[in-house]
Amino acid sequence: MTGLMGGWATLAAAGGGAAAHAAPGIPAPGAGSPIALLLLGLPLLAAALCGVFAATGNRSKLPAFTSVAALGACFGIALMLFLNWNGQPATARAFDWISLDWGAGKGQSFDAHFGVYIDGLTLLWMLFVTGLATVIALYSMEYMSHDVGLGYCRYFAAFNLFVFSMTALVMGDNLLMLFLGWEGVGLCSYLLIGYYYKRAAAVAAAKKAFIMNRIGDLGLLMGILSTFVVFGTIEYAPLFQMIASGKTASGAELASHWSVWGIPLMFAVGAFGKSAQFIFYTWLPDAMEGPTPVSALIHAATMVTAGVFLIGRLYPLFTADPALIALSVVAWAGVITALWAATIEMAIFDIKRVMGYSTISQLGFMFAGMGLLTPTGAAFHTFTHAFFKATLFLGVGAVMHGFGGQLDLRRLSGVMWMRGFGLVGIAMLVGSINLSGVPFTAGFFSKDVILAQAFTTPGTMIWGAQAAAWLLLLTAGMTAYYTFRTFLRVYVGPREFVPGDDAELLDLGRHPKGVSLDEWHAQHGHGHGHGHGHDDHGHGSDHRAAVRPDFDPTTEEFDPHPPGWSMKAAIGLCMVLSILAAGVYFMKPAVGNHGGWVAGMVGQSSAAFASPGEHHGGAAEHAAKLGTFLGYDPHKVMYYVSAGVGLIGILIAAFLHGPRGVWSLFIGNRTSAAVAPRADALANLFGPLTRAARNKYYVDEIYDALVRTPLRVLAHIFHILDQGLVDGLVNLCGALPRMLARSLRPSQSGVLQGYAVGMAAGLGLILIVVWVLMLR
Amino acid sequence: MLSFLLIIPLLSALAIGLAPERASKGLAMLGSLLALAAGAAVVASFDWGRGSAFQFAAALPVVPELGVTLSLGVDTVALWLVVLTVILQPLCVLGSFSAITERTRTYYASLMALQAAMLGVFLARDLIFFYVCFEFTLVPMYVLISLYGSTNRRKAATKFFLYTFTGSIIALAGLIYVAWVAATRVPDAAGWTFDIATLRSAAQAHLSPTEQGWVMLAMMAGFAVKVPLFPVHTWLPLAHTEAPTAGSVILAGVLLKLGTYAIYRFVLPFVPVAVVEYAHVVAALSIVGILYGGLICWVQRDVKKLVAYSSVAHLGFCMLGMFALNAAGVQGSILYMINHGLSTGALFFLIGFMYERYHTRSLEEVGGLGSKMPIWSTFMVFFMLASVGLPGLNGFVSEFLCVMGAFQSGAYTLGPGGTAGPLGPWYAFIAGFGMIVAAMYLLYMTGRIVFGPLREPPGHDDHGHGHAGSHEGGGLPADLTAREVVVLAPIAALCLFLGVYPKPLIATLEGPVNDKVQMVLSLGNAAGAAPAGAAGGER
Repeated sequence: MTGLMGGWATLAAAGGGAAAHAAPGIPAPGAGSPIALLLLGLPLLAAALCGVFAATGNRSKLPAFTSVAALGACFGIALMLFLNWNGQPATARAFDWISLDWGAGKGQSFDAHFGVYIDGLTLLWMLFVTGLATVIALYSMEYMSHDVGLGYCRYFAAFNLFVFSMTALVMGDNLLMLFLGWEGVGLCSYLLIGYYYKRAAAVAAAKKAFIMNRIGDLGLLMGILSTFVVFGTIEYAPLFQMIASGKTASGAELASHWSVWGIPLMFAVGAFGKSAQFIFYTWLPDAMEGPTPVSALIHAATMVTAGVFLIGRLYPLFTADPALIALSVVAWAGVITALWAATIEMAIFDIKRVMGYSTISQLGFMFAGMGLLTPTGAAFHTFTHAFFKATLFLGVGAVMHGFGGQLDLRRLSGVMWMRGFGLVGIAMLVGSINLSGVPFTAGFFSKDVILAQAFTTPGTMIWGAQAAAWLLLLTAGMTAYYTFRTFLRVYVGPREFVPGDDAELLDLGRHPKGVSLDEWHAQHGHGHGHGHGHDDHGHGSDHRAAVRPDFDPTTEEFDPHPPGWSMKAAIGLCMVLSILAAGVYFMKPAVGNHGGWVAGMVGQSSAAFASPGEHHGGAAEHAAKLGTFLGYDPHKVMYYVSAGVGLIGILIAAFLHGPRGVWSLFIGNRTSAAVAPRADALANLFGPLTRAARNKYYVDEIYDALVRTPLRVLAHIFHILDQGLVDGLVNLCGALPRMLARSLRPSQSGVLQGYAVGMAAGLGLILIVVWVLMLR
Repeated sequence: MLSFLLIIPLLSALAIGLAPERASKGLAMLGSLLALAAGAAVVASFDWGRGSAFQFAAALPVVPELGVTLSLGVDTVALWLVVLTVILQPLCVLGSFSAITERTRTYYASLMALQAAMLGVFLARDLIFFYVCFEFTLVPMYVLISLYGSTNRRKAATKFFLYTFTGSIIALAGLIYVAWVAATRVPDAAGWTFDIATLRSAAQAHLSPTEQGWVMLAMMAGFAVKVPLFPVHTWLPLAHTEAPTAGSVILAGVLLKLGTYAIYRFVLPFVPVAVVEYAHVVAALSIVGILYGGLICWVQRDVKKLVAYSSVAHLGFCMLGMFALNAAGVQGSILYMINHGLSTGALFFLIGFMYERYHTRSLEEVGGLGSKMPIWSTFMVFFMLASVGLPGLNGFVSEFLCVMGAFQSGAYTLGPGGTAGPLGPWYAFIAGFGMIVAAMYLLYMTGRIVFGPLREPPGHDDHGHGHAGSHEGGGLPADLTAREVVVLAPIAALCLFLGVYPKPLIATLEGPVNDKVQMVLSLGNAAGAAPAGAAGGER
């Protein structure tokens, strides 16, 4: 057995591999520091420790401290790797995971190691994943404190497991390792969406997220298998070299091979599933059932960007196709998703779901960026979005925490002016101006890179690039509108609120600290109706009124519950980071001279790609073929155009939803939380369209009718058929021997003896036949 | 050495039968632990360098005139299945302590006799001995189901017995035909023999393609019922559902594997031409089983029946990999046998433990146990994930390899990563939907039974909260006892280990599997056109 175990090749660095001739774009990887493997190990260790705390019945905040420490250490390691990085890709391996051999030839062995591949894309993702994970773990320490005990351990175990999975996804050195992370983040998302597992809505949302993701995962799996069959490897380093050589493993011209568009399309399906792109997006709004820190980290900043990462990681393959078919599909999926989600956001009232749809819409921008040939823009937007969307979510979480889970923007107003909520309001403002693309914010710069490139990329390369660009610009305006619609209604204006139905539990000091709500509930014998989400911070407002008919906010005392130090610290940190993220645009990149630090990181990764028209000034002959913005160079005018569009969106929001009165810097006419005459009139004007958008265009219902219901009917038919088959067949087969047994031993009621005898007799009979045959 | 693996369980069955009732528990535990030790000794002294060779050969002529010999031997494939059997056995005994309180003597004696028979199947190198063991498993299993099962036990036991017995008789006819061919057509045959290796070469050399087709049909008639392959799976849900917990565990964990093992051992090498010709039929049936079984799981109200039907879907993957006839597929298939035994076995344990407390398996009556039974729920979610094929746990490795094998099989025209073989990417793609369906029904199951508001059968817990001690359910506490955790923890550890580091299995199975695959393909293709020579066009 010792021979087998030799595979524990203890943290052996892989070395340069078989890279005899490095591709021009991506050099062969060097030996990476094995310390990088700690990024996988530490979160796993922390998750295991949380499990131990759960088993030992720990009732302190120890799981939170452990998590913050482990994740902080991870961020430190990621930072150290970045600072010591020489700009070249590197790999390091821990041990073999799945490896098979069935011959000596090319493609006759399959290798998937537990190993890491480090390049600019990896480091970019790891820095914001570990950084934000640390901050949000800090936030969760307080946010989840109502559930100290088993639930707290469960939460942080899944949280750490998520970071492990995300790390595996981002850092893995082969596609199967990516798949491990891919499904792993899906699992943690499932566990955390369903955190409030007693509520049917949360359980259903968790299930839906996992299953919708699995549909995408099938595409990813088929992509991985096709990659192996065509290229004979699923490890990045040899794969990239083979793609750069322009040949498949069997020597065919890659450019004219089906795999050059077929495989990227399969991967794109996987990416659409994980990143909630059009037609798979419906799971993400429902995922808002999870605790808000989870929404911030997983369903806004990190996991949902995995699709963007996947496309960036395999950009050499996507761009090897001369017709760029897969990228055109990606671009249009992104554009449609961005626009589609934006129209829904403009109509709905649940501020957390607004953030959810906004994430879908912004992911659409990132996909459009990838598709419209600016991986830099996509990665940059992913980076800035991670910070400002986390800020927004954490702010929404603070409001929910403080107002008993209230999420309806018609029932909250002037929150910013309430005691203890100033920081929250400022953070929300910072997040909102980023999301709207107000000039000089991080979100402005990153969105600008995508928009400028969208107008530049010629339609001859990406199908319908010009139309896509105009739609994206329109969506940018809509984004500004819906963002400030929320901000102006909830955070400024007259101070007014209706607490959510969690109010009586979370406030008024009736719910003692350190006792989980379940126990508290059990002790106090409260028996509300079914589906009562008393221990929740994160559910929709739709069933709220029905749940607590007895609660009258005007007569009962309710004090908003301002966030404590750890929540405030996390919100503040996120806010500062989202401001600072703008700064990277002005940092000189390590390669090239345009696009800032992110461009440098992307330029030193698999996603390195010279976007058409990027180096303006030179190559005047190309200029004619490039797209323009109404005849101007998009890279020069887009700053002003997108700024203008964003400001128009904000002004419309101010006109329709801005408050009237002392606090009004605006032209608005909103008089209370619920009454905004102009907005309501406009909504009525669009009547059915508004209703459709508020109901998310009935997409869930359509899926239900077209897929789920037919499948269930089919399943029931199968079930009935199967039982009929059982009885039919068995009665048929059973009748004969039973009669035989009865005639042989009429007095015996035990069937067993009959069969044993029958079996022996049968065996004997056969032996006799053999005997006769042999003697013949 | 291998004979200890047979003698120990047989002797303990005998001892349990003779000893008083109160000793049977202990004797069964002792016997199964001794068998485990014997298994460990075999593993320790196995020569891993020669994994394809049958080691520890031992032979005892029984009926020399007929060539019937009690001959034993293991290669790595058989050995890992033996290991699975000896690991599950003590856990089954331990898991039955509180469930079986009456007629314990018959129960534990049957359990031990069953183990002897199952080990006999894996160890046999003689056809008659193999068949006797194969059939003998039915008797103790019949006893277990019909005496210790739930309400429909008689019907279930009879169905189980009849169904599999009928199939096996046909399989025996096919095998005997092979023996007859070996005795009559081989030029220098020294009379009758049932030695498997001899029969194999005789079958390969002297069966015409048509005969091979018939022999394959006959053998599949017996073995496919055991697997069970769609559409001959219908005995399984009832038998699984009605069997006592340990019975279900053994049934899912090992008994089904007798079918797949027999296919690996007899069908593939004996009739390679027919296998290559009809592989796509078997694969198609497997895929139908995956989707059909999976969808049926999704509408089950009885949680045990749900897991039972999931075996139909799971074993579909196992058969799909087997008939991909390449390294990845066949290795995946063998890993699947082991992994399914662990994860589905554990799910049956969990359901059994719940049943002991609530006396119902209906998802309508009981559910939301997450708050009431956190330890149980944690294990439930863990094994659900192993079953759903989450990477990092054991189920994924085997499922991925089976799908990969199906994808590669015949895809040599697409690139060097493809292999020769009868299937192709479309098989893998359609089977891949089974992974989505698996998520649907397994999450439906956990969504009902672990999550959601707590539902208990009426009258279950009248004492109210606060009395954390005993319920009416046999004096068991609300959550798992230490004994029950001890049953589940080793399986969980194995699931995790084999998911993260399956190399010990893969590396040792590589030799025999590659040999077998090469043999089947070269013989199977030699008769027909040789596709390896045909240069496939792109796309």
